[in-house]
Amino acid sequence: MSKLTEKHNLKGTLICVEGIDGSGKSTQLALLRDWLKSIGQDVIFTEWNSSELISQTTKLAKKKNMLSPRTFSLLHAVDFADRLKQVIDPALKAGFIVLADRYAYTAFARDVARGVDPQWVRKVYDFAIKPDLAIYFDINPKVSMERICSNRAPKFYEAGMDLKLSNDPYESYMIFQTRVIKEYQKMVKEFGLVKIDAMDSIHKKQVEIREMLKKVLEAKGVVL
Amino acid sequence: MEKFKKKHNYEGLLIVIEGTDGSGKSTQLELLKRAIEDQSYGVMVSEWKTSRLIANVIDDAKDRNLLNATTYSLLYAADFADRLENTIIPALKSGFIVLLDRYYYTALARDVVRGQNIEWVKNLYEYAPEPDLIFYLDMPVDVLLKRIIGTTGLDFYESGRDVGFSTDFYKSFEIYQKKCLEQYNDMKSEYNFISIDGTKPINEIHKIMKSEVQKILDSGVMY
Repeated sequence: MSKLTEKHNLKGTLICVEGIDGSGKSTQLALLRDWLKSIGQDVIFTEWNSSELISQTTKLAKKKNMLSPRTFSLLHAVDFADRLKQVIDPALKAGFIVLADRYAYTAFARDVARGVDPQWVRKVYDFAIKPDLAIYFDINPKVSMERICSNRAPKFYEAGMDLKLSNDPYESYMIFQTRVIKEYQKMVKEFGLVKIDAMDSIHKKQVEIREMLKKVLEAKGVVL
Repeated sequence: MEKFKKKHNYEGLLIVIEGTDGSGKSTQLELLKRAIEDQSYGVMVSEWKTSRLIANVIDDAKDRNLLNATTYSLLYAADFADRLENTIIPALKSGFIVLLDRYYYTALARDVVRGQNIEWVKNLYEYAPEPDLIFYLDMPVDVLLKRIIGTTGLDFYESGRDVGFSTDFYKSFEIYQKKCLEQYNDMKSEYNFISIDGTKPINEIHKIMKSEVQKILDSGVMY
């Protein structure tokens, strides 16, 4: 069994948010972070594809459309492994609340939507620590597209243009993100992702998330 | 999950030379290349860690000691995937004889020595086509150590200094190379290596390799 399905025994708490772009997860995580800091909690924030080691290379390769589904997958795994070992794991050992904007589930959703074998990519990430709480922001692809593409066309990889689903980036985005959502929905059961409705108000979602976090922390003996 | 040992159905041939640093791989590769080219076959050579995508990132990260065992494995796997998809497989499809300086066996040896689970590493490379021939240049550790020290000198990662076997540079190097050799030894039968005594004269080794390649060429698979 992989670490992703086993409860960790580290002092800290790992919370991640998942969902396709435009689902409002980053906003919610920022609100959560500010609140936790204001009440004196030790918090660390980390986001997808942001490692010192590789994120710039990956971004450049994306710009040049150089990535195949497999290299796309492996480069993101490098990024994740780097952050896990350098940031997430030490912070959890030191007792921090770690807030992750996207986690391994993003890879499972996107890579599989690109045709990568689901078992293969799960095994690649089997060193990942299981989050104490993983929240999935459920949104339909049309709203997502309206939000992120209000002033620009979808980018090559976010629209899944590498898969040649359609020559129209907007249409391709819809098809591709529908696939990504399908993978996320499967993971609600498989990994116990907690689904919340992205269409709810910012306030309602934040209330809901703080309640969930309080319960997780209480179970660890931390009272906010 | 044993997905290895898939025979490829490409027109070309995939020939690998494996061995630790200093075992004479590059010399033999060059000789073999010329010998095959002399018979009017198209030959393409590809070396370990040379992808346009990521090779320089690995060098840079090594220079700055940024790598841990997991990122080390994954970066090399990304480099391999890029070369495989963009160079090796297209060449095989168009009927080239592809000569490779190292293949995923190198990753299996090095990553396992760095403490990675072998099944995890195998999974990273499970999609790779099986070579038609794998030559392994077998070297006793004492000869190998002298050869490396006498040529390239000790390198941080090739001495396994990142693993922390010993703070003594030579000691670390010795332990690391020995452990790599053990891994290669374990792979010999599993992957049908044609193991050649690397201490033999260059020309003798070349003759053995050439005759093995010749058998395949004479069998008519390449018409």
